[in-house]
Amino acid sequence: MRFLTGANVKRLLTLVLGAALLVPAAVRAQPPADDPAALKLAEPDFTLIALPTSLRLPKYRSAFRVTHRFLRPLGSGDFGDLVSDFFGLDNGAQTSLELRFGIVPNGQVGIHRTGGNKTIEFFGQYAAVRQSAGRPVDVSALVTIEGTNNFKDSYSPAIGAIVSRTVGDVAAFYVEPIWVNNTNALPTQLADDNNTFLVGIGARVRVSPTVYLVGEAAPRTGYKPGVTHGSFALEKRVGGHVFQLNFSNGFGTTMAQIARGGPVENDWYLGFNISRKFY
Amino acid sequence: MAIRLLRVLALLCACAAWSACDEKLSSIAGPTPSLEPTFASIQHDIFESTDSAGRAACTNCHTNVGRNPSAGLNLAHDLAYDQIVNMASSRKPGAVRIVPGDADNSYLVQKLEGKSGIVGNRMPNNGPPYLTDGQIMILRRWVAIGAPRN
Repeated sequence: MRFLTGANVKRLLTLVLGAALLVPAAVRAQPPADDPAALKLAEPDFTLIALPTSLRLPKYRSAFRVTHRFLRPLGSGDFGDLVSDFFGLDNGAQTSLELRFGIVPNGQVGIHRTGGNKTIEFFGQYAAVRQSAGRPVDVSALVTIEGTNNFKDSYSPAIGAIVSRTVGDVAAFYVEPIWVNNTNALPTQLADDNNTFLVGIGARVRVSPTVYLVGEAAPRTGYKPGVTHGSFALEKRVGGHVFQLNFSNGFGTTMAQIARGGPVENDWYLGFNISRKFY
Repeated sequence: MAIRLLRVLALLCACAAWSACDEKLSSIAGPTPSLEPTFASIQHDIFESTDSAGRAACTNCHTNVGRNPSAGLNLAHDLAYDQIVNMASSRKPGAVRIVPGDADNSYLVQKLEGKSGIVGNRMPNNGPPYLTDGQIMILRRWVAIGAPRN
């Protein structure tokens, strides 16, 4: 797993993004369906791995997601140790639950609760621009606020945009500039930086009718402890479910956690996401 | 479309401005809730005051009022800054009490933290209680930003 550094993940994503430019024009020209309830083959889920996508949620419909990030570093010990620990499944996990709901056309809100410092995140997302013949990208606005200790301490709001482009039914690419406030747990008087500006980049590529490869990273500036978030995954769509097996260099699933990055360079962790659309 | 987008952006900006957050310094400062990383605050809350946890004021011993200052360090109000910043220790050759910008190598910080290699006891001499981790963090921040006379 040593080659899977944050820098290498970013290089892989850059290669995938470049490959999108080589997709035949006939494939790129396919207009996306405008019905938010219609299955979008290139963008089947509301998240990549931890970062959000532009997928719209129909009004008065909902979706649910559960995530696990197992705490055992995959590189700890030899392969026999890893098998003995059943690839980390024996070692506990940071879990999260998420529910989102469409409140207006193109607009959704949600709540995400993770065991990491008992963090609760509320979020809202509005699809302001949709990809069409005259518009090359989707643009969604994103607002989140999270607090640790069950939303009693250390509040971190975030504001950003999700810019995405789907390439036919084959792939979707994302650039997500996001500013996260109060990522540093120390008071401003004791810190050089209290905020993080990150640019989430990611891609999802459909490699068979229901199987996808997914990757994402979040290069950042400002307060940036730890190692820059990076993650890749293999996922399978089954009806309204998406089952994802992922590998990440950290445990973050909220914006402030992503901004703070992973704990240690070159440590990677197994995890999974399961999501379900209720429409 | 443009107007709708502007409205959304204005709403988002308002949300961000409204919600700019920070931690409270008082939650770090423990028994000296008004302590800040300034010399005036450190002098008042650390050097010259016994705090609510019972940690003794430094000026109980480091004074020339009715006695000789311990270790030759006089923290009297008008002398304290010049006695510590860029001033050599009288007990440990080569050590400097406060090195602006370098808390790790500031001997006063080492004495308050009880680091190995100090001469004599950890301060305060009659501790515990000693300074809390939060109080030391604030002192360290003042040193890290250059130990200004503020």
